[in-house]
Amino acid sequence: MSSSIRIGIIGAGPGGYVAALRAAQLGAKVTVVENQALGGVCLNAGCIPSKALLAVIELREKLQKARQFGLQYEGAVNCDLPQMIARKDRVVSGLVNGIATLFKSRQVTHLVGTGELLDERTIRVRQPDGAETRFSVDAIILATGSSWPALPQFPVDGRVIMTSKEALDLTAQPASIVIIGGGVEGCEFAVYFSGLGANVSLVEMMPALLPLEDQELSSLMEREMKKRQVAIHTDTAVKRVSKTPNGVSVELSSGVHVEAEKVLVSVGRRFNTQDIGLEKVGIQCGPRGEITVNDRMETNLPGVYAVGDVVGKAMLAHVASAQGKVAAHNIMGRPDTIRYEVVPAGIFTLPEIGRVGLTEQQVTERGLVPKIGRFRYMSLGKAQSVGETSGLFKVIADAKTDALLGVHIMGSHAADLIHEAALAMEVGAPASRLAHMIHAHPTLAEGLMEAAEDLDGLAIHQGPKRR
Amino acid sequence: MIPSDLKYHREHEWVRVQGNEATLGISDHAQDALGDVVFIDLPKLNASINASQEIGEVESTKATSSIYSPVSGKVTKVNTDLRDHPEWLNQDPYGKGWIAVIELSNPGEVDGLMSAAQYEAFLASQVS
Repeated sequence: MSSSIRIGIIGAGPGGYVAALRAAQLGAKVTVVENQALGGVCLNAGCIPSKALLAVIELREKLQKARQFGLQYEGAVNCDLPQMIARKDRVVSGLVNGIATLFKSRQVTHLVGTGELLDERTIRVRQPDGAETRFSVDAIILATGSSWPALPQFPVDGRVIMTSKEALDLTAQPASIVIIGGGVEGCEFAVYFSGLGANVSLVEMMPALLPLEDQELSSLMEREMKKRQVAIHTDTAVKRVSKTPNGVSVELSSGVHVEAEKVLVSVGRRFNTQDIGLEKVGIQCGPRGEITVNDRMETNLPGVYAVGDVVGKAMLAHVASAQGKVAAHNIMGRPDTIRYEVVPAGIFTLPEIGRVGLTEQQVTERGLVPKIGRFRYMSLGKAQSVGETSGLFKVIADAKTDALLGVHIMGSHAADLIHEAALAMEVGAPASRLAHMIHAHPTLAEGLMEAAEDLDGLAIHQGPKRR
Repeated sequence: MIPSDLKYHREHEWVRVQGNEATLGISDHAQDALGDVVFIDLPKLNASINASQEIGEVESTKATSSIYSPVSGKVTKVNTDLRDHPEWLNQDPYGKGWIAVIELSNPGEVDGLMSAAQYEAFLASQVS
């Protein structure tokens, strides 16, 4: 065994902790430095806590439909926010402990403190009590992540003007909230707060919500937000946020003033590259301040790797984990490279979105000719049975080659369903294979088959197109 | 159920004209074809619209369908209660399910719409 290889990792988010475990599985002696809870933003202030809370909203909305389904109950269904937050915290701490247990089982050492490079093989750790230790290693992985930027125009105080971190711990329901930023996080929080019963205004500078998504899905999301009675202000900038005796007044570029109890700032991320010794050691950064790496996840210094948000690629937990594995493989003598062609992603609004590959707009920008197949949830027997009829499957293929270029799903379980399309793309299957493969009935997955059949106008459960 | 005091559009909207104003909604046939309505995207207040222009959308558990205005004019009232009660479109399409009120800019257009008898014949012709 190559047990003599010592690896130091700064940061225990989904990039760092996964790299640590993979390297340890392959025989490395791994030390991870982390000054906050294991699991990073994803587990402690992002993906996991937001899903734990959104699950309550989803359950409540199912119960609100219960009587239509013939299910009777007495009394109202109310959100008990302190209990919701307490449950969310239990989910998070259970998973944080899970990482600690995995670390122990693989003899990964966790040093509590702030890590900094002294040279390309030495890490100094400042512990919370002020003590300092340093240790030498054979390779280093920087996985310091990203954080909430301090934007002078949005003076976050954590109480009235919040980031997602505070919003996830709010134990008193706000009557009204303005969410600045209509991206993934902004839309998820719009669902959360509207689900709690707050008046939500969602402000987005770009002409559409979810501006990076396929435009067709963006407009469907806009409709879903209208169903939730979220006031949408797209193509709108925020001019000023000022505190008032009752909360905040938000002045929009349209001239509209929105008064609310709270503001949630959901714009931008800042790379955590400060005070980790990058300049001292001579690690190169890119124009946005991200750490520059090659496709082996190695920086300009041999043996020093970087993964996760701090390298400024797709800022997604699962991309960080994939990068972490690639870095671990390379250090452990198993050459590996990262590819970003097939990165499935979920947006956990209600209904949710799953996507992989290119949007229709990106396909056209690249000079390719898209062929598009669509199928609606409402035409699926399973969707009707379970009462989840909102949503769309959209398959984009290359009109010339039938190659799958992108798949976009909005509807119940979309973020799970997308993986069939992702695997098809990963193995280079043409769209016709999705149509040809037998799909179990009755399932939501049949929608993907029908959408692929619709590429040739052959979806069975869909009438001929009008026009 | 086709009330005789209303005028009908071929896209299955009705109007009730009172003076210079027309209240509009979707017909009983339309709501029946749609099935359970879950959402209505309402017309914008004060919008100027032309006859046969799409002014909103109805989504049911079976289909999504555009709402067309039978007449031209300005939207002066919108039934915002439908946001909380889209089921009124099914339960009472000619009453509580009214969608908007239009101030007519070309009242003559109303004469071009179908009477109840004509709409009934139109529906019959659609089936065959």
